[in-house]
Amino acid sequence: MTSTQKHEGVWVFSESPTVARELLSKGRELSVKLGTHLAAVAFGEDVSEMSKELVAFGADRVYAVQDPSLKTFQVHLYSNALAEMAQTYRPDVVLIGATRSGLELAARLAERLKTGCCTECSKLDVDPDKKCVIVDRLILGGNITETLIIPSKPQVFTLPKGVFQPLSKDPARTGEVVRVQPKIGESPVKVLDRKPKQFAGVRITDAEVIVSFGRGLKKKEDIPIVEELAKTVSGVVGCSRPIAEDLKWLPVDQYVGLSGQKVAPKLYIACGISGQIQHITGIQNARVVVAVNTDSKAPIFEYTDYGIVGDLYKVVPAIAEAFRRHSSGAK
Amino acid sequence: MRNMPNMIVLAKQVFYTQDLRIDRTTKKLKTEGVARVISESDKNAIEEAVRLKEKHGGKITVLTMGPPEAKEALREAIAMGADEGYMLVGPEFENSDAHATAVSLAAGIKKIGQFDMILCGETSEDQYSFQVGPRTAEILNLPQITYAVKITLQDAKVLVDRNLEDCYETVESKLPVFVTVSREINEPRLPTLMAIMAASKKPMTAWTAKNIGLQPGELGRQGSLTEPVRSAVATGERKRVMMEGEPSEAAEKLVTTLVGEGVVKVT
Repeated sequence: MTSTQKHEGVWVFSESPTVARELLSKGRELSVKLGTHLAAVAFGEDVSEMSKELVAFGADRVYAVQDPSLKTFQVHLYSNALAEMAQTYRPDVVLIGATRSGLELAARLAERLKTGCCTECSKLDVDPDKKCVIVDRLILGGNITETLIIPSKPQVFTLPKGVFQPLSKDPARTGEVVRVQPKIGESPVKVLDRKPKQFAGVRITDAEVIVSFGRGLKKKEDIPIVEELAKTVSGVVGCSRPIAEDLKWLPVDQYVGLSGQKVAPKLYIACGISGQIQHITGIQNARVVVAVNTDSKAPIFEYTDYGIVGDLYKVVPAIAEAFRRHSSGAK
Repeated sequence: MRNMPNMIVLAKQVFYTQDLRIDRTTKKLKTEGVARVISESDKNAIEEAVRLKEKHGGKITVLTMGPPEAKEALREAIAMGADEGYMLVGPEFENSDAHATAVSLAAGIKKIGQFDMILCGETSEDQYSFQVGPRTAEILNLPQITYAVKITLQDAKVLVDRNLEDCYETVESKLPVFVTVSREINEPRLPTLMAIMAASKKPMTAWTAKNIGLQPGELGRQGSLTEPVRSAVATGERKRVMMEGEPSEAAEKLVTTLVGEGVVKVT
């Protein structure tokens, strides 16, 4: 037990090592602004390597729990351990990666600690006056941005994956590793089986380039036009909600939007997508958005970096052709 | 062995989000004329309960919290096959965050009493917080199983397939249990007009905070643990540059810009 009642430190946790590194990068920024330390939580069967890795990617401190029952994510066990640790070490802020597991963990943890939690935050910063984290969330179909703070402690947030660039790995960095043995208990829910999903090629949430289409594409047989551009830029094909849910031309795992996949590619090319707020919300973390649409007044152009008004049947092949010229051409 | 499961489904009424628009002149959200519907995955939860009832018998109670209009949601749920409905209604419930909502729903559930399984959608269409299910499960100290895509009742146990990012997981729990469902679990039925008419004759009960034993400080804004600072019309922060010209010309300008910015690497 710490002697002080003060809540201090920014904690990050994700069951995914990749997401944990991303969280450390954002966590570093917040901890500097809050004038506090940055800690990571490591759970696993063997946490020594994991702890070193977390320090190398920016953690000042690692709270490590080594236990065979923590080998894979189970919400009851993880929330038991994390809640007890938060009660003992009293962090000011807890950042959790917004994977599906991370979301259920954050909510269960926050309720156990009787504290507030903001999920699916689109923006996260420190309020300089109040010295607390302040976030933006999109609500009501993405039409409204709500800005919130959490007066209770710890302030719990989930952060989207694939948005923050990890700091570069520095094996020479030093940090304190604190071994902890919280009560983990037993899970009332037993995992009987895990079947990995089969993905053909790169998953849309991991893709650096996504070429997406909507109802501007008139028939299923025309999908190769979009695929051809995707191939040229080593991208993945995505679509809008009606294409997957109503027309069922692509699997639901491939539609982009608030209720579908939220993506964060370097480049997102929307072909024949009008730009329903549902869709826009799914691409808000894309670095650059390009749109092709026949209607110059389509809402998509409000949320686009570069737009081309025109028939996708002509423009999309032209973009593919231009990319080919640039890659094989004089320069 | 328990053959006849007692199920409580939590369902929220929301504006049909796809029809929500910002009024360009007032710069405010236009809700006038926008339909109020049962939030999509909550509807899947109702459907799943009805299917379980068709197979095993039992009873379905629907609980909602919201404005007086939320009565329509209860009516629709009953028309789909639920047996009775309760609603938490009154100004004291307004502006509840995920925590205060969970506290209210948990109090409503306790008042309803017996249950083997509580079901709700994985998240609501309007708030998208993914919190109310797990928070309610925590308050009631129940095992939680999220993102269900298949539910099988077997003796006094439940087997659930869950949809995660990388895998499908099959889990098992004793009853009682709290389950949140994903939209792919089923296709909710469309109740017939007759069923909707008949639904108005089924029992529906409205409860105030006092009825479920909650104090003013426990719910609404006062009972919330998050504090809204402001809300505004969401705006895009994009460049909005149009590439003019014939398709080939516009495409060339676009690609030159993207390559120049280092967005794409060409080999």
